[in-house]
Amino acid sequence: MQNLKKLLIVISSISVVPSLIFAQKTLSPSEVASQYQKAFYYSGKDMKALVYMQLIESGGKERVRELTMLRKNTENSEEQKYFIYFHQPADVEGMTFMVYKYPQKDDDRWLFMPALDLVKRIAANDRRSSFVGSDFTYEDVSGRDLAEDNFSIEKEEKIGGKDCYVLKSAPKNPKSADYSYKLSWIDKVTFLPLKEEYYDIRGELYKLFIAEEVKDVSGFPTVTKRKMVNVKSQHQTLVTFKDIQYNLGIDKELFTERYLKRPPSKWIK
Amino acid sequence: MEKWYEKGVKVNRLTIFSINHPRVTIILAFLVTLIFATQFPKIKTDTDPKNMLPATSDVRVYNDQMEKTFALHKDVIVLGIVNEKGIFNSSTLEKIERITDEIFRLKGVVLQDVISFTTADNVIAENNNLTVKPLLTGIPQTPEEMEVFRKNLFENPIWVGRLISQNGKTTAIYVPLEPGANGKEIAEKIKEIVKKEKGEEKYYVAGDPVARDTFGAEMFKQMALFSPLAGMIMMVALFLMFGNIPLVFSILAVAMMSVVWSMGLLIGLGFPVHIMSSMIPVFLMAISTDSIHIFNEFYFRFNEIKDKKRAVMDTINSVGAPVRYTALATAVGFGVLAIGGIIPVRVFGLFVAFGTMVIRLMSFTFLPAVMMLIKEDKLLKTSQRDSLEKGASVWLGKLGRFATGRPKLLLSVGFIFLVLAIVGITQIRVNNNMVKWFKEKSEVREADKIMNANLGGTSLGYLVAHANSEEAMKEPENLKYLEAVQKDLGNVELVGKTTSLADLVKRINRVMNQDNPPYEKIPEDKKVIAQYLFMFGMAAKPSTLDNLVDYPYQQANLMVQLKTWDAQAMQKVIDRVADYQKSHPNGNLKFKPAGIAYFNLVWNNEVLFDMVKMFGLALVLVFLILSFNFRSFKWGLVSYFPLIFTILLIYGVIGFIGKDFDMPISVLSTLSLGMAVDFAIHFVKRFKQRLAEENDLQKALIWTVERPGKGILRNAFLFSLAFSVMIFASLTPYITVGIFIAFLMTVSAFLTLIYLPAFIILFQKFLMPQKETT
Repeated sequence: MQNLKKLLIVISSISVVPSLIFAQKTLSPSEVASQYQKAFYYSGKDMKALVYMQLIESGGKERVRELTMLRKNTENSEEQKYFIYFHQPADVEGMTFMVYKYPQKDDDRWLFMPALDLVKRIAANDRRSSFVGSDFTYEDVSGRDLAEDNFSIEKEEKIGGKDCYVLKSAPKNPKSADYSYKLSWIDKVTFLPLKEEYYDIRGELYKLFIAEEVKDVSGFPTVTKRKMVNVKSQHQTLVTFKDIQYNLGIDKELFTERYLKRPPSKWIK
Repeated sequence: MEKWYEKGVKVNRLTIFSINHPRVTIILAFLVTLIFATQFPKIKTDTDPKNMLPATSDVRVYNDQMEKTFALHKDVIVLGIVNEKGIFNSSTLEKIERITDEIFRLKGVVLQDVISFTTADNVIAENNNLTVKPLLTGIPQTPEEMEVFRKNLFENPIWVGRLISQNGKTTAIYVPLEPGANGKEIAEKIKEIVKKEKGEEKYYVAGDPVARDTFGAEMFKQMALFSPLAGMIMMVALFLMFGNIPLVFSILAVAMMSVVWSMGLLIGLGFPVHIMSSMIPVFLMAISTDSIHIFNEFYFRFNEIKDKKRAVMDTINSVGAPVRYTALATAVGFGVLAIGGIIPVRVFGLFVAFGTMVIRLMSFTFLPAVMMLIKEDKLLKTSQRDSLEKGASVWLGKLGRFATGRPKLLLSVGFIFLVLAIVGITQIRVNNNMVKWFKEKSEVREADKIMNANLGGTSLGYLVAHANSEEAMKEPENLKYLEAVQKDLGNVELVGKTTSLADLVKRINRVMNQDNPPYEKIPEDKKVIAQYLFMFGMAAKPSTLDNLVDYPYQQANLMVQLKTWDAQAMQKVIDRVADYQKSHPNGNLKFKPAGIAYFNLVWNNEVLFDMVKMFGLALVLVFLILSFNFRSFKWGLVSYFPLIFTILLIYGVIGFIGKDFDMPISVLSTLSLGMAVDFAIHFVKRFKQRLAEENDLQKALIWTVERPGKGILRNAFLFSLAFSVMIFASLTPYITVGIFIAFLMTVSAFLTLIYLPAFIILFQKFLMPQKETT
């Protein structure tokens, strides 16, 4: 079984390589950006994962969030739906959170609080706000509209033996992002970001993303361990994705207010 | 062999060398000075009062730990924005937005944690939606939108008093600084930013880092201005007294050399120049004037015997002993600080002691060498005026006759003053307030005043509630207890505002319940609280929550804003909470103070009490030195009196006029000891010498008042004059130093000249049992 998996990985990588050798010379910066977005945020038609987040403050104390994340893409659209079920912390167990993501306008978000047996719509004005208190913003978790940034390729560099494009993204409207620019080291093979550096308005590095583990899951290269460090405050967030599955055929029905309150157990375990 | 040597006079070999080779001596002295001066470019300064205590001190360790736990910043600059017509208009709001954006660009600012209308999170209910977003997202264009903004702002208790004044005319931008950033420099840049804005708004820059770093910068300027100024005035006065330029310069040279040697050594050894050590030059200049006694005597002697070399020898022989002992007493008075607990105080004490020893060395080498080089004819002319029949000596003689004639009357008057002084001392208020180190009309103080009048208060203290177990801060009863403590603290005068997790939970509860005011309370269910806080954390800036509660929900931060930088205000807060805990016991929560307001309280107390403790020790040591010097406890006791009397009088006056007994005053205590003891030593030593030559007690006393007394008065006068220029300084501690020294010298000189003769007459049997009474 293990051997078969390895073989599959080898075959799938080999199959991509020729197209890449060819692509290397022709890909424009915005094409790289678009490939990166597809690989990082849109793999498969849908996805399910058990996500384990550790929020670590500068003194070393930890908060833990454990959640099941379900994502469904909309066909022929960049819209996505997210369904999140919280297992930890213990006193919020059963809380659910749903996001309809629209690239060109504000998200719709709903939250179910079991202690009050209440679904509340949460207005989301700012995708730059922190995702459940972590160092990731909503935008870091679900992506940013490509049309909002200017892209350029700064250089090409190896990271951990992998050839990468170093893509620079700078917001067209400076007020639309916290960073004045971002550098992404994008694997030429998988188009996944292996490292990202966020620079503030003064040009100082303030946030650092590192993909610590990349695995192939059902043919989709997936970042299974990632880290985001706020280099200024020394706060960091470690995220591990487990039990990742793609193309399960998640029902559209699940992404409704009704299921927020009573999610079917097969989707959340 | 010279005559004086044959007479068996004891003169140090070093002095003999100096007299025989004056030029070599002077050149050597300057060369050594030059070596010390080469260290000056290495100067490092440290104006942060935090470093008064070592980084390992309990209060600093705990403060650092709490800052980490609650993601707080040590240093925060507050920019106050006032519009007398109210800030609720689009033009003012646009300015706030623009200024905030500009502040983001400043290096050294923690831009993620700048708090302003455009960054501070607010939880509001909007069309039955829950919204967490900054207070100001887009400038309101219509009166309706403006009203919504105003309503949302005033309904959030977390920000009222912090970001908006009750009357709606004042707002603020809180600018946290990265560690090591210079508060004054960033404050200057913020001032440049607001200068670009036109309109009726007024801007005020306040906060601890501004006061601290402005003080630091100002301190060096003041020292650079007033030390030379004091030196120049001393020079002019010396010239008028002695009429001989080389003499005048040599006294100043001794002062400068001791300053260069000790500061050079301090810098060379790698110590930073601190608030305390910046005062070393002034202190050394003060101490160096002791060498006047040498010139004073030299002039008298030369006028009598007209032989320069002989006069120098005789002078050193007669003044040598008192100069040695005054130097020793002064050095011990400061040196004793070296065994205290506060490092900058120890450094200060040690290097002043070192400088004092340098002065002593110069008195026996450099000064005799200079005297040898002065041309005799010039000396003859100017020293003519220094005979006992002339000038101040005449009325000093009268003073001596009065003091020896009416000892009992003087004693009674002294007793009355003593009682008054003690009454005054009981009135002394121990306090410290760094903002008050600036003058009333200064920018720093003005800004602080305006901010405190309108917002919750610029001085920030923390009361950290510690629970026994994790998750405890989600318990309704604990949050209710926090709420109750806050309410109780509201009764403390000068507490402008308190903020805690309880405020946030109440606010969310209200918003979750259709913004219904009765729901502004702590919910009864722990799970509800936990889910509220989780929900809030899903949308808000993490720091908003982190500032109030730690990660395991075991510690909560109750922020207390004080409307004054008085260290004692924080003490009142701590006492109040302790009282409340006594009357309303709660086994779960323990409160521990932290924050800059608490730190100010601790370091002030530590420095102050360390000083007072060492001062006490110095008093004992100086008494022992006096007794040893006179080989008699009785004489030690008598000569001790003017010293104690002077100190009591000064502190009595401080008590009566209501001046806070603060750090600068406590530092000056040691100086008062070192200086006041000099006069007594000179007086008693010279009197005893005289008595050995002349058997009439009263005559000997009057002679002492006339002749060494003139030296004492010259010394006191010179001092007072030089230091009185500091009254014009822009920082109040220097003004205090100026007034204090002038007062101290004058009082202790007169007390010495009046009370020592009176005492000696009165207690002659006790002091000199072997002598016949006159």
